[in-house]
Amino acid sequence: MKKINTTRFGEIEIDEEKTVHFPDGLLGFPDKKNYFIMEHKKGSPFLWLQSMDSPDLAFVMVNPFLLDGDYLKALSKDEETLLKNEHDDEVLVFSLVTIPRGMIEAATANLMGPIVVESKSRNAKQVILANSGYSHRHPLIFK
Amino acid sequence: MLVLTRKVEESITIGNHITVSILEVRGNQVKLGIKAPKDVPINRTEIFESILNENINASETPLDLDCLSKAVKNT
Repeated sequence: MKKINTTRFGEIEIDEEKTVHFPDGLLGFPDKKNYFIMEHKKGSPFLWLQSMDSPDLAFVMVNPFLLDGDYLKALSKDEETLLKNEHDDEVLVFSLVTIPRGMIEAATANLMGPIVVESKSRNAKQVILANSGYSHRHPLIFK
Repeated sequence: MLVLTRKVEESITIGNHITVSILEVRGNQVKLGIKAPKDVPINRTEIFESILNENINASETPLDLDCLSKAVKNT
């Protein structure tokens, strides 16, 4: 177990298996490459992507398949390739959630730019599915 | 910014593996052909910027997420 300092959660112990590495960072945050993922609460559809490089940087994520049961089922070949990795290992897919200030009911999830985590290597990247028809501001309504 | 002038069917090469060709010019529209390795993401800049801006918006999450859980349950 490793101890990490965070603004939101204070000092927490993290499981090394839950860490993820973004070799290219996230768009807008190119030099923040190390994060860990934790459940918001048991049974909650939300997870946290907390930066290990910057205590105050944390994103809310949601499982996009809870918002759209057919998510990623009808991608073009090129976009499908973007989701894969060289070893063809299993990947986990998450969507970042945006909550406009003071307007929690207007929260959206980014289905156009999912976070893809290789479950074995724990390497992650954000993929842009520009031709998929998915919105970067998909309403947060669970189906 | 480097500025180059090219004609239709001419191209430029970026690094060793990326080639951008001018395929067609019609009025104020230019059709480009891009050859690049599969792991190089190519996007219209406005799409790239919309994802970048949305990441910045997403990083400004309110501290109290339980309100969100409640709001979602009520819908």
